[in-house]
Amino acid sequence: MANDLVVAPMLVVLASIVAMLALRPRPRAQRVASVAGSLAYAVAVGAVAWLIVLSPDAPGAATYQLGGWAAPFGITFVVDALSAFMLTIAAVVGLAAVVFSVVFVDRANQGVFYHLLFHCLLLGVTGAFLTGDLFNLFVWFEVMLMASYVLVAFYGGPQHTAAGFRYLVLNVVGSVLLLLAVGGLYATTGTLNMADMSRRLADPAAYGIDPAPVVGLGALAFATFSLKAGLVPFQFWVPGAYRSAPLPVAATLAGVTKKVGMYAIVRVYFTVFAGATVGISVPGAAGASPLAFLAPALLVMGSASILVGGLGAIACDTLDEMLAYSSIGQVGFIAVPVAIAAAAPPGSLRRLGLVAALVYALHHALAKSLLFFATAAIRSATGTHRLSDLGGLASRAPVLAGCFFVGSLSLVGIPPLTGFFGKFLVFEAAARQFTASSGLAGGAVIAVVLVGAVLTILYTTRAWTRSFWGRRTPAVEGATVRRSQVAVLVGLAALIVCLGIGFDPVFEFATAAAEAALDREGYVELVGPAGGDGA
Amino acid sequence: MKTTARIVVPIILVLAISLLLQGHNLPGGGFIAGVLTTVAFALIYVAQGLDYLDSGVLGQEVESGAGVFEHRSVTAFRQTFMVGLAVAVASGFAALLFDEPFLTQTFVIVEHLPLYHELEFASALAFDVGVYMVVVGVLLTILSVVGAE
Repeated sequence: MANDLVVAPMLVVLASIVAMLALRPRPRAQRVASVAGSLAYAVAVGAVAWLIVLSPDAPGAATYQLGGWAAPFGITFVVDALSAFMLTIAAVVGLAAVVFSVVFVDRANQGVFYHLLFHCLLLGVTGAFLTGDLFNLFVWFEVMLMASYVLVAFYGGPQHTAAGFRYLVLNVVGSVLLLLAVGGLYATTGTLNMADMSRRLADPAAYGIDPAPVVGLGALAFATFSLKAGLVPFQFWVPGAYRSAPLPVAATLAGVTKKVGMYAIVRVYFTVFAGATVGISVPGAAGASPLAFLAPALLVMGSASILVGGLGAIACDTLDEMLAYSSIGQVGFIAVPVAIAAAAPPGSLRRLGLVAALVYALHHALAKSLLFFATAAIRSATGTHRLSDLGGLASRAPVLAGCFFVGSLSLVGIPPLTGFFGKFLVFEAAARQFTASSGLAGGAVIAVVLVGAVLTILYTTRAWTRSFWGRRTPAVEGATVRRSQVAVLVGLAALIVCLGIGFDPVFEFATAAAEAALDREGYVELVGPAGGDGA
Repeated sequence: MKTTARIVVPIILVLAISLLLQGHNLPGGGFIAGVLTTVAFALIYVAQGLDYLDSGVLGQEVESGAGVFEHRSVTAFRQTFMVGLAVAVASGFAALLFDEPFLTQTFVIVEHLPLYHELEFASALAFDVGVYMVVVGVLLTILSVVGAE
């Protein structure tokens, strides 16, 4: 039954959460169940992606009314290509992170609700990707955040508690803003269902609503989403939180939960707000669609993220701090094509922008989690991840070095790795925007993306030469590399290479996802919010 | 203080249970009932001290040196929220068995009962009971563990 399939990933996670709690007295069984749960999650997501979106006779999208309450009053879950694409990223990174946690986090710590919280994090992410209801999106954000607060402060030392507290305060403020925005949008449009809201905003006269407040309220929501995504100027929580969280969790935070912020921007702006026409003018925004207001803000924030992240990463002393700064920059690389898509008129350039962002998101999730895992493996082998204490790892642990090398090259964008296609599509979008408008802004975007790419080369090269080449330090000399950890790394590295070589299906999937994000009418028709017409 | 607690705690608990039972179509519900129940227990803690539940009610020997996690009441609280979560999730899954969407609820009204005349059995009550147990278990675990520090 394709319909029940929509909630299958969520049900799997719920079942694993109960299992994690029940098996707490038996740590060994809990670890096995955790891996089995994340494997089942990956299978469920794979089934959703294949049976609903990808297979030749698939419907392409499906909805599910929770509890049988009809839209727009009940909570709708929607799987379209965009949701399925994001869920796939979450499933791959989640599975890898759980397996890696089992062999990396020490046993006593794993017993302290670690696996439970990890599955709660997955639950929040799954809900956020599936839901078609704006308030429900807020709820899933909270589920995700509750788990990540505890995971950031997991080790419980002074610096972990401080980072966790900063993360908590910032996100509570962000949640308040998001709640205000959701409440305001409800007051403005009279609905919370995304499809219904989209329908009403496209034809405000028929429903007697004034869409002008959407610009301001959307900006509040946008601020929260970019806080979650860690875009400049909301980037300052990122390094502290990533450094204090257990490294597999940091990989998940960078690879998956940041993407939830980007996903929310795309979904809310392109699928819900895009049809609205607002008759107010803001300096710097051309056009009357809420997308026109998003474009300049997101472009500036994305560009600033690329520069801040890249410059910050060059100056770091430890591998994990470098990766944290790098992920600020990489999210900038996702934001810039989204901004280009928002600025472009509906058509191929808009679609290309979103495809570039999605492919880059996939690439970043894979490469960054590989690098975080590699850092974790280095730390458990040598006891340190300070660049000054490392050196000569390449000859001491060649397989580990090879995996780190693949991750770095993918981050730089060397063919045939997935990172190459991500960078390539981002550059193509920037270049096409330049030829379309040939303004100063277009040139500046290309310049920023180029500088960002050069910075990426610089900091990955620096990390590589410092820690893998050169003379072996005492820490490296006495290192014992764990085979089980390296096995996970090799798996991820192989995935990056395979997806890069067989890139065509990924591109098809991303294109379908971008089209799903842009197909506003299709989304409304799919959910079919029949009720509430008389409002 | 102890006298007040002795009188007030049963009243709060009865009120909590009535809120739990009517929650599916009147003001109330599992969450608020759970919070009220926790308040009753908090009152006991304030009036009688942290060890009272173990030593006075359960009749257990409490070693003063042992951590609060060793208390039998704390173990029970943790089991409560685990079972509660399982009940809530299972009540959602139950709908799938009847080929209905996840979390679908229904109700039956049993009429012609002696004394009660009619009673309503709503499946939402199962979910509410799950929520109630989660709230009670989690809040009391936090309260007792943090209270001990």
